[in-house]
Amino acid sequence: MAKEVADTNKDKDVVMADSTGAKAAKDPKDAKKDKKDVEDELSEEDAKLKDELDMLVTRLKESNATLYKSALESLRTLIRTSTSSMTSVPKPLKFLRPHYADIHAIYASWKDGENRAFLADIISVLAMSYDDGKRDSLRFRFYGAKEDVGSWGHEYVRHLTAELILEYNARTAGSEDDLQPADPPAKPFATTEELIRLALDIVPFCLKHNAEADACDLLLELESLDKLPQFVDKDTYARVCLYIVSMVPYVAPPDDASILKTARAIYRAQNQYTQSILISLRINDLALVKEDYDSCTDPLVQKQLAFICARQQVFIETGSEEITEILNNTKLTENFMALARDLDVVEAKTPEDIYKSHLENTRTGANVDSARHNLASTFVNAFVNIGFGSDKLMMNAEEEGNSWIYKNKDTGMLSAAASLGAILLWDVEVGLTEIDKFLYSTDDHIKAGALLAIGLVSSGVRHESDPALGLLSEYVSSTTSILRVAAIIGLGIAYAGSARQEVQDLLLPLVSDTGLTMELSSLAALSLGLVYVGTSDGEIASTILQTLMERDDEALKNTYGRFMGVGLGLLFLGKQEASEATLETLKVIENPLAKMVGVIVEICSYIGTGNVLKIQSMLHLCNDHLDATKGEDGYQAFAVIGIALIAMGEDVGAEMAIRSFNHLMHYGEPVIRRAVPLALGILCASNPLVNILDILSKYSHDNDAEVALNAVFAMGLVGAGTNNARLAQLLRQLAAYYHKNPNVLFVVRIAQGLVHMGKGTVTLNPFHSNKMLLSPVSAAGLITVLTAFTDAKSFIVEKASAQYLLYFLIPATYPRFLMTLDESLKPLPVTVRVGQAVDTVGQAGRPKTITGFQTHSTPVLLAYSERAELATEEYIAVATTLEGFVILKKNPDWMDEDKKDGAK
Amino acid sequence: MGANQSQLPGGAGGNGKDDSKKKQKKWEPPLPTRVGKKKKKGPDAVHKLPAVFPTTRCKLKLLKNERIKDFLLLEEEFVQNQERLKPQDEKNQEERSRVDELRGNPMNVGSLEEIIDDDHAIISATSGTEYYVSIMSYVDKDLLEPSCSILLHHKNLAVIGVLADDADPMVSVMKLEKAPTESYADVGGLDQQIQEIKEAVELPLTHPELYEEMGIKPPKGVILFGPPGTGKTLLAKAVANQTSATFLRVVGSELIQKYLGEGPKLVRELFRVAEENAPSIVFIDEIDAVGTKRYDSNSGGEREIQRTMLELLNQLDGFDSRGDVKVIMATNRIDSLDPALIRPGRIDRKIEFPLPDVKTKRRIFNIHTSRMTLGDDVNIEEFVMAKDDLSGADVKAICTEAGLLALRERRMKVVGEDFKKAKEKVLYRKNEGTPEGLYI
Repeated sequence: MAKEVADTNKDKDVVMADSTGAKAAKDPKDAKKDKKDVEDELSEEDAKLKDELDMLVTRLKESNATLYKSALESLRTLIRTSTSSMTSVPKPLKFLRPHYADIHAIYASWKDGENRAFLADIISVLAMSYDDGKRDSLRFRFYGAKEDVGSWGHEYVRHLTAELILEYNARTAGSEDDLQPADPPAKPFATTEELIRLALDIVPFCLKHNAEADACDLLLELESLDKLPQFVDKDTYARVCLYIVSMVPYVAPPDDASILKTARAIYRAQNQYTQSILISLRINDLALVKEDYDSCTDPLVQKQLAFICARQQVFIETGSEEITEILNNTKLTENFMALARDLDVVEAKTPEDIYKSHLENTRTGANVDSARHNLASTFVNAFVNIGFGSDKLMMNAEEEGNSWIYKNKDTGMLSAAASLGAILLWDVEVGLTEIDKFLYSTDDHIKAGALLAIGLVSSGVRHESDPALGLLSEYVSSTTSILRVAAIIGLGIAYAGSARQEVQDLLLPLVSDTGLTMELSSLAALSLGLVYVGTSDGEIASTILQTLMERDDEALKNTYGRFMGVGLGLLFLGKQEASEATLETLKVIENPLAKMVGVIVEICSYIGTGNVLKIQSMLHLCNDHLDATKGEDGYQAFAVIGIALIAMGEDVGAEMAIRSFNHLMHYGEPVIRRAVPLALGILCASNPLVNILDILSKYSHDNDAEVALNAVFAMGLVGAGTNNARLAQLLRQLAAYYHKNPNVLFVVRIAQGLVHMGKGTVTLNPFHSNKMLLSPVSAAGLITVLTAFTDAKSFIVEKASAQYLLYFLIPATYPRFLMTLDESLKPLPVTVRVGQAVDTVGQAGRPKTITGFQTHSTPVLLAYSERAELATEEYIAVATTLEGFVILKKNPDWMDEDKKDGAK
Repeated sequence: MGANQSQLPGGAGGNGKDDSKKKQKKWEPPLPTRVGKKKKKGPDAVHKLPAVFPTTRCKLKLLKNERIKDFLLLEEEFVQNQERLKPQDEKNQEERSRVDELRGNPMNVGSLEEIIDDDHAIISATSGTEYYVSIMSYVDKDLLEPSCSILLHHKNLAVIGVLADDADPMVSVMKLEKAPTESYADVGGLDQQIQEIKEAVELPLTHPELYEEMGIKPPKGVILFGPPGTGKTLLAKAVANQTSATFLRVVGSELIQKYLGEGPKLVRELFRVAEENAPSIVFIDEIDAVGTKRYDSNSGGEREIQRTMLELLNQLDGFDSRGDVKVIMATNRIDSLDPALIRPGRIDRKIEFPLPDVKTKRRIFNIHTSRMTLGDDVNIEEFVMAKDDLSGADVKAICTEAGLLALRERRMKVVGEDFKKAKEKVLYRKNEGTPEGLYI
């Protein structure tokens, strides 16, 4: 039987041609021979079968109605019992082909009745091998006796499915094309409802026979996916949901939401709350999250749900103190330290441990800019010892860090003091006592640094007493500009993603106050964006828009203006159409900045959606070759980054985007070329793919120093927190290569720090939970830092500039661990297998989800492309994705192999 | 080095501290370079399109492929726009002339011996002397592989270019350039065999998803066996005619070479080429030339043949998995083959070609006589019904012989008498070897 009847029906004809190919090829030679010869070629059984079929058809032609029934019965038996192979059409169908037209005529001549319906069924089956685009199979199916779909075999079901989809598409397309039915071709043989009813007959059959892809496709094509949940049971739900959810990034907007809703309904029906909450979080609807949480009755599962929410930094109100503690991430630092102890990386590292400059083959002396070098060391120290609570420069040094701070100048001192916040990340109580002493410093920069440090410490965790708000709010209105800046940024980082009204009240006036410097207003807008990320808060949006309109042109030319745009964009992060109104407003404003802001808002709105149309419009923006001196080309940089942001949701788009970047690099103006490495960096954050490293390594020697600089930073991003040895070597080579260029060397050092971030235990990648969810705060942090690098000259490179913007990477950091907890939330070491994740969507049987695995004992680190599964069946994981914190419970059915043997 | 030391806090430690520091700073070996390895041919990583999973037919696959298409259209649009707005010809010209300038004139040709690191290599010049030279940055390092021909700068012998390497001439001979004319229609009977070979060889190449859907691995290869002249090679030709896959054909005896190690090497090369040009079909005719049972032998030649077979065993189901390479073997002495060669996993399907039965014989006769002008008195049926053991080849021989007899008399028609004579002749020759009536 020609098996390859696909739902892409075009190849249908080809298939038939192919399967009859051998016969067709014989025809020219056979043509000379008379009919007898042809029959001679048939084997005896075939000839007998043919005779029998001929006889049955003639009997139908005769007028003796009593024989019809038996003739039809035997026809049916012959068709059903024919064994077929994949390469040819079943014999009965082949032999009945010449009679197809006759049988049609017979059908037309008969009167309605049982026999006629019976005949219709047979015609419906025969039409499979006689496809002329009229969809006879489907038509006669409706005329037929409507017996069980599956009784004619799988091939028939598939064929019917294909025709059903064609028919439905033809109807929907037809109704759009010509509205007035001038000459209806024929009375439609079935209403659309009947079509769908037939589909609903087919779906359970497909699901029962392991063809869930077919079932889902059919319902999706007939736009009635919402009917799916009733057919799915506990054996099929996992595969069905996996399949439809992986389809989400590829379908047009209204469909993706309906798929997610269907998947959620299925999961909920099967009591898989840990899965359904992931979908709810992906839909980004707090009410649904809350509903999932509330409808779950098992306290253990509720705790797991809380862990999932905590990772996404979503807060839901619950009465339970224990749950609130989980949601607040209070235990994060404790568990992270446990991980560090387990991996034996507690001991603090110095920047020199990272640089390994003894391996650099350079022999030049100390002609480098020492302040710059110290600043780099500050950052490297902060990144490497992030969250470990100890280091060798700031805290454990003999003079309690003061000496190191004074080895920096101006904003360098700020960064140095703030690095404490990164080192003590997540540990609010210890952090505040450590930072406290700098708050009383006489030097404004150190004081500002302490303020920023307070913000950093409380990033990602909540604390009932809100120390950050209490300590920072008074400085927001300070008279010293640097203190204000630090307080604003600190607030933004501390309350990222929390949508706190208090922060809005504090910062919103700063945004609208045109008397302030552009720097302050923009950073306030940025912080607000970070705090209200993905909320599309109307008040803040309108205030920022108002400011953009009211500020004079001179102010808007200020390079900090782009952060105002980022602030606005972050508000609409992932909100898709919700930003339409804002975009329209921005189009009215006649200013280069407004255009740039428009692009930023657009890319933020569509982050991780893989929307091809948006990528196309971004590429269109990159088409023009503008004069860089006029300063009107800034938006192109964001268009390039936008391609990466939009494409990063799904693998196919991400890979194809890399190809586009090649072209952009080849044809683009400098502003575009400079943004390409950054885009690559965010596309593959913490995911050091060899080909990306090759590309970036090439760019890091570019003629344009800024391209090289950005490429070096992107290398840091790509390898962030991985300890990748190849990358470390490349960077050491770059350090030697650029030893005379302090600017690039500074960035090389930063990149080195990033690669060894958290001693290789953290990730910057915003995607988590099996790459299903995008952490908005994490994405926001990355976007902010990339924005700083679009004008690396003014923000990063120059002395006394705003290197502290690099600390926006801190909210994006999260440990890339798998921690297993017992029912009382104490760490519980179990053996797990860790290996490369395999895409198992739509595969037959029970395919392995990981390959090339190694067995470890938890806690373990998971790289971007890795996945874990429990090695023994002693415990059952409450969560379905083994990432972050996972609660285990004892498997009641499990019995120790040794004990079992002993019992015998 | 000093630059960094001075920055460390408390750098002025005691002697003991220095010692420990020295110990800590141990030399780390550089990572091996990635370039310069023998690698599989295939599209460059940058230009490769992403792989699409799942491979079963479903809407998800369609959607993913459509997404790739969309992106390619975007790329096309962008590149076209750019070419229109800002032609690159001039820039390319300029860059090319700069590279030419750097290359200098004249250039030497050498061969690459070994790659040391990312930008140094050992080369041998035409004179045979070896040098340690640098590789220029603009050389495409992905093309460099040991023993390829390279362009050298005339003075400092730096590597300035790669000459494209041609495939091994030995193996390229095996590649079938022109498809044979025989098709399935020229095979009389053998319906069962055609179906089996289609399922085992053609379908896995054209519709791999069918097997994936089922959750099974498609068969790797088939062996065709049966008495001489029953159409084994003919069927292989028909497969070659039908498929668009690369078709490599070898005769078992070709794999036996004069020098030690050449035979196994040829087998390796054969399968390497097959994999590079995947999807491909390797047809090894008369496999019994190398595939006989192993036994203790003192003859060096015998042992070499066995080693060739061992290499074949490894290639068929060894450590490395073969991708889309299907193997067809043909022999008429399957009983003498080494059991390891035809175990499932290496050769999954054994297809027997029996002597034709009456009906098949009739069809074979029809095929061969359809282009001949036959006299009215020719009664094919007579030959078909005869009890002689006629193989397909015998039938063809009879027809040809009859034609030749007619030709001898310059007749334009082949008459019944010709066929009778021809049959006697053919059968006589066929039985020549066996002493007649020995056991009567």
